[in-house]
Amino acid sequence: MSSQIDYRLSRLAALRPAFGGSPRTMSSELPFGAAALAERLGASIESNQFGEHLRLRRWHDHPTSSAFDCGALGNGVMALLHPSAAPQCLDPSQWLFLDTETTGLCGGSGTYAFLIGLAWWEAGGLQVEQLFIRDYSEEHAALEALAARIAERPVLVTFNGRTFDWPLLETRYRMTRKIAAPQLVSHIDLLHPARQIWRPKLGSVRLIELEDQVLGQLPWQRGDDIPGMLIPQAYFQYLRSEAPSTIEALVQVFRHNEMDLRGLAALSSKIVELLAQPESIESDALELFGLSRLLRRRGSCSRARGIYERALGAGLPVEADRTARRELASLAKRDGDMPRATSLWTEILGGTRDGLDAYEQLAIYYEHHARQPRRAQDVAREAMETLHQAQTAGHIEPARYRRVHARLEHRLARLSRCTRSAPSSRLELLDTSLWLPAE
Amino acid sequence: MPGSLAVRPKETLQAVRDALDQLSARDRTGEVITRIEHIPARAAEWAPMPAWVLPELVSAYRAKGITQLYAHQAAIAEGAHAGKNMVVVTPTASGKTLCYNLPVLNAVLENTDTRALYLFPTKALAQDQLAELYDLSQRLELSSGPSTDAATDIATGAPTGPAKIQRAGQRFGVFTYDGDTPSDARRAIRERGHIVLTNPDMLHTGILPHHTKWTRLFENLRFIVVDELHTYRGVFGSHLANVLRRLRRIANFYGSDPVFICSSATIANPGELAARLLEKPVEVADRNGAPSAEKFFVFYNPPVVNRYLGIRRSYINETSRVADEFLRRGMQTLVFANSRLHTEVLLTYLQRAHPPAPGSKEPVRGYRGGYLPTERREIERGLRDGAIRGVVSTSALELGIDVGSLDAVVMAGYPGTIASTWQRAGRAGRRSGTSCAVLVASSAPLDQYMVRHPEYFLSRAPEHAYIQPDNLEILLNHLKCAAFELPISPDESFGLPGGSGEINLPQLCAHLERAGYLHRSGGNWHWTQEAYPADTVSLRSVTSDNFIIIDQTASVEGGAEVIGEVDFSSALTTVHPKAIYLHQGQQYHVDRLDFDQRKAYVRPVAVDHYTDAIRYTQVRILETAAEDAAPGPALRSHGDVVVRSQVVGFKKIKFFTNENIGAGKLELPENEMHTTSYWITLERPLVASLPFTMSERQSGMFGLLHALESMASLLLMCDRRDLGTAIGERPPAPSAPAVLPPEPEAPERASVELQVEVQAEGTPSPSPDAPQEFYEPNLYLYDAYPGGIGFSAPLHERHALLLARTCELIRSCPCEKGCPSCVGPAGDSSERAKEAALAILDKLSPQGSASERNWDSETEIAQTERIPF
Repeated sequence: MSSQIDYRLSRLAALRPAFGGSPRTMSSELPFGAAALAERLGASIESNQFGEHLRLRRWHDHPTSSAFDCGALGNGVMALLHPSAAPQCLDPSQWLFLDTETTGLCGGSGTYAFLIGLAWWEAGGLQVEQLFIRDYSEEHAALEALAARIAERPVLVTFNGRTFDWPLLETRYRMTRKIAAPQLVSHIDLLHPARQIWRPKLGSVRLIELEDQVLGQLPWQRGDDIPGMLIPQAYFQYLRSEAPSTIEALVQVFRHNEMDLRGLAALSSKIVELLAQPESIESDALELFGLSRLLRRRGSCSRARGIYERALGAGLPVEADRTARRELASLAKRDGDMPRATSLWTEILGGTRDGLDAYEQLAIYYEHHARQPRRAQDVAREAMETLHQAQTAGHIEPARYRRVHARLEHRLARLSRCTRSAPSSRLELLDTSLWLPAE
Repeated sequence: MPGSLAVRPKETLQAVRDALDQLSARDRTGEVITRIEHIPARAAEWAPMPAWVLPELVSAYRAKGITQLYAHQAAIAEGAHAGKNMVVVTPTASGKTLCYNLPVLNAVLENTDTRALYLFPTKALAQDQLAELYDLSQRLELSSGPSTDAATDIATGAPTGPAKIQRAGQRFGVFTYDGDTPSDARRAIRERGHIVLTNPDMLHTGILPHHTKWTRLFENLRFIVVDELHTYRGVFGSHLANVLRRLRRIANFYGSDPVFICSSATIANPGELAARLLEKPVEVADRNGAPSAEKFFVFYNPPVVNRYLGIRRSYINETSRVADEFLRRGMQTLVFANSRLHTEVLLTYLQRAHPPAPGSKEPVRGYRGGYLPTERREIERGLRDGAIRGVVSTSALELGIDVGSLDAVVMAGYPGTIASTWQRAGRAGRRSGTSCAVLVASSAPLDQYMVRHPEYFLSRAPEHAYIQPDNLEILLNHLKCAAFELPISPDESFGLPGGSGEINLPQLCAHLERAGYLHRSGGNWHWTQEAYPADTVSLRSVTSDNFIIIDQTASVEGGAEVIGEVDFSSALTTVHPKAIYLHQGQQYHVDRLDFDQRKAYVRPVAVDHYTDAIRYTQVRILETAAEDAAPGPALRSHGDVVVRSQVVGFKKIKFFTNENIGAGKLELPENEMHTTSYWITLERPLVASLPFTMSERQSGMFGLLHALESMASLLLMCDRRDLGTAIGERPPAPSAPAVLPPEPEAPERASVELQVEVQAEGTPSPSPDAPQEFYEPNLYLYDAYPGGIGFSAPLHERHALLLARTCELIRSCPCEKGCPSCVGPAGDSSERAKEAALAILDKLSPQGSASERNWDSETEIAQTERIPF
């Protein structure tokens, strides 16, 4: 039987080799390259009650840390950044930047964070600390060290960490059955504000793009940075292989993680800077547009109006210009500034989404505010005509067409009843008691 | 259950009698109705409600009209309450859900932290149970105030999520968790679900790999309910056994050791199957205490229209005729068909014959998987309240959906196993009154065997269910999943023999480590892949490596259309280049087969023929596990084999006439599979003593194998596709290769003469001169799944029984020279195939005359109980 077992196993699809290199010989010791890696990086071996792990610390001068001086986080800046922030968030020395490198992107209980990158403001610069598990057996020790850091600085700052890094770490803590997941005072995730501000300008907002496009001159160069998708393999290769190249790949991962942390810190400075004094910031039109949207969404409407106006003044591309005018018009309407609102709507009338919306808003205005049903009727008729043209040209999706069409039809029917029964302006005035309140 | 329509006994008896008389009147030859079995009424066996059941639960059941229990319900509830793993074996509609709901609800009432996980093979069953549990929990809400500790705890849970969540009451969180569960509801279910109803697939891919999100459930998991246990057999069962290994492992990690409560339809070995699935001692309660009324079971064989070719009248039309007899007498009737297509055909016939009264709804409805849940609920309700008079269903209504009991059941075709036949027949049977079940046989071999041997069916010898959890391919895939969920410690066993056994956990982990899936650190094996292993392991199909079929001409609007999918093993025979592929009645020509991308490109055509692949199959024996002399002289054996098969060409067959109008050669990759096999060796004196020509002998062997395969799938309770067949020369010495002729995928037997010697592993071939006769042929029946699924040893053990059954099948077939119901269609093989097959069987049977032997079911059961795994 034993002669057969190896043959049988060799034929199994489930045992088809999953990686290229030749495996190192089994041992329960640390991987072959562990010592060389520590030496190469200049990392120290730390230990606590759960065992050992590797720690690498570096301090970086960080000019933008001055953004946080003189209580920059007061004056509602934090409320713009993170609506439900705890008071401790106002003190940047309580912030802990976090970014992990993991063995996979799909989550679940079998995905490990093998490198936990941390950073905090210290001595006018940025202190970076990386916790690395030289093998899976060191995970508990690294998690314990992380818990200690979080206890010191309980405000977590991440980029997409709310949905990825932190839930993954919580899973890791649960898997230990020994170490409780540390309690965070607040978790500030910069992905969402960054998305608000820079999506109009950049389309997608990956950290690397933000570094390139908005953070300006940085004291480091990504250069031949390791692509994120190769990172899990780099760790697996290190675990299995004796080839020196595997250590170099891991050094690249450390470097990648460190740059992500420095980028994250720089991004936080940039966003705080923008939010602290948006009125005085020198910026291009699209960035101002994005900023105004963030302000609007956070309920800071009057400030948002000012930035919208500046963005428009700086000259936006056609589509963004239309959207900005529509959004600004709705803010103006809310403020009761109807002249500004109507002029904005008039500027963007057309078959686009924003343009059709402007038609409807204008019709509402004439019907209910200005009480000029005939004018409202004209606007609605023109809107209907434009809508048909847009449909014929295929510029509008069918479902939207049907919705807008139904609303316009309804409005026209009502207006035609009004205008028929109210031929003179005197009667028009009398009839106002029957009109519906503004929509 | 109470509340079913009360029908006066005498009236129903008369209606059944009239219907049967009408059917008998048409049966002029006496060959159509082969048996009318009368099953007398049986009284209920009662047991009192156990003393430990809390008063509020007692009153909740009382409100439903249940004040005492059937004997089997009490036995299961008592056992589970005492912490024993239990399996209840009872027929349909015997109140089995109470068996597990009673102890589980009682435990939740006692301690609101208690959690239970229910596993159902289908989503529909879980939905059905949700309704029942919801009803009970509502009654419990009403019956008791908020003073108990249970209510206070739940009050703290924020009532968030969709309506479904809020609806499910405050004291009991009872939820289904499956692919349809909206993502915003999932968090609430994980936290607040006392009873979570799910299916094995969701457990495998959705719950176990994310167990840290289910901490609360796993820490308090006291009961696991496995419903419809008998459906977990073969590959599916082997997978489930491993999923349960993983489940127990995670439960233990969180400090719980849940009790299993299982239910099963009647099979021969429920206790053995349960013990093998759970890997724990299990107590069986199989004394059915539910009452049943008088019933008739009728075996119906459609009349023969062409005796020479063995052609009978369409069984679908006959089914419709039989159902019509019941419906027109006002009997509520359920018709089962074996495919969706036949459901629709039968529905059309019956709706035409029974149009709705003006202003009312259709009295005859369809019921199958594709229908919307609300539609199904409406039909179930209509059946219970009597508004619907007839339903045509697929197997969907066979499992425990509650539709009450009906007057008549008509089955279009044998459902495939005795167990499911009884399940379906069990749908008929009022508390009082007379009911009737009719099995209408198709011309398939098993159908014909059953309808001509009703005594076999009625002799209380249902099938065994087999699983092989230690199938290496399955086991290793689940080990990967297990390592992902929790690092594997060398102290674990994962259900495998420890120590120096041939296959033990450390050894397998070491192999997985060498292949790069696992990494050992601190003594434990950890998962070292980015991929999520459960995603690539499907519990239901043999391989997830399917070919998709793309219609290139459908690309008018944006891209070609995928019209179907075929599994890997049938891809080479059905969608090889130049094949005519049939899909929903449309013919497609396969223009190109992209083997690497697993795609077949087709275009619709209209031609007068179809294609049939010619496959060469070769079996090489790796190791013989057992070999015993048998009458013949012959040998019966089983062991490990390598099966190599290759599609080497195809034939074009004309419709209706079945003429061979051309052929083509193909060059397709060879497929190799390591599996287990049972085989019969016909020794030289046996072959030499047969009074036939060489070609007739060969035809006889293939015909015999055709019939053996049918009967083996019957005995094994497996799908016919789970078994493969081949004939090869007996290897001259142990471990030497056997050389195989083409397997007659196609009815054509002439290919024997074209036999090409495909050589294995470079060993020299015996004389390749063709035509050539087998000197000592081996007839193989192998497991059509890599690694084997546990069929070979039982077949080896039951060799004599298999031969006897096969002999009965062929001998009782009324065809003259072979037909698809016995040795394969006449005309394709030698004229005397049937005769030759019977002659071989005669030699193989112990008394020299197998046909005369009378099979005593008692000795048969005794014999089969000993089957080792």
